[in-house]
Amino acid sequence: MALRFSIKCGVGAVLAILLTACQQGAPPVRNITVQQTWELQIGNRVGDYRISSGLGDITLELEGNPVYMPFDGKLQPIDDTCLALTSPEVPAYLFRLCGISRPRVGQRQQGNTIGRAQQLVFATFRKEPDGTWALVEPATALMAKFLSE
Amino acid sequence: MKKRLKRLPRRQQRYRLISNGLIALVSFSIGVSLRFQANAASTQKDLCQTIVSHQAVLSRQQLGQLLAVPERENREAIDAIANEPYCTLPEIEVRAGVTAERRAYPLAFDPNTWLVVLYEDEEYAGYGFTLQH
Repeated sequence: MALRFSIKCGVGAVLAILLTACQQGAPPVRNITVQQTWELQIGNRVGDYRISSGLGDITLELEGNPVYMPFDGKLQPIDDTCLALTSPEVPAYLFRLCGISRPRVGQRQQGNTIGRAQQLVFATFRKEPDGTWALVEPATALMAKFLSE
Repeated sequence: MKKRLKRLPRRQQRYRLISNGLIALVSFSIGVSLRFQANAASTQKDLCQTIVSHQAVLSRQQLGQLLAVPERENREAIDAIANEPYCTLPEIEVRAGVTAERRAYPLAFDPNTWLVVLYEDEEYAGYGFTLQH
């Protein structure tokens, strides 16, 4: 009886170790407060329908092609469809990427594939002194870096 | 009773087999996670484009003052606190039509940690901490 119990405990301990090892890689959800308080923003609803892009978002027809990391950084989920990319190498900025299916989140390196998208909805935010994030117009060359390895 | 005593060594054997298996599994998973960490560390690239000052470091006091500077302040506010940076990073255009300049300062009390400061024109935009090896 004691033997069975100790085996059960052992198996439990191994499972716990493996689970925590896996969970270490999963970053927490990123909440961002957008400086512009527009009503028609991504994630909000019009009637029964979810808004998939708003002012400041740029939608690219990727048709299933991959999206790459333009520099080393951290990818965190914002919700079911959007990701936040931040990097200490590019301070004061945050990039929102929506529409990527099965993305690989966490600490990623330049050139790594983030995932593939039919339509990539892209937004660039700049940090405000009050801690909010302001939508800004991204540079074309930077957007291109997301699309080539 | 006699029968039970006889069976005990076999049980013990099974127990030993299972516990050895568990130990192997644990050490394997630790090994795999260490390898992943080593891989992440070994592929660290050099951030710098131009070395400005080899001795440049930020003291605790300078770091504290620097973090207190609000975004959008004139870059002179940063220059007044920090001396020359260790290096500059390649210029980058994040916002359309604005070229950003980035400077890196290793921390005096933790030289593997660098503070990266981003400027746009004469404006201080923000900071980030990056781990260097």
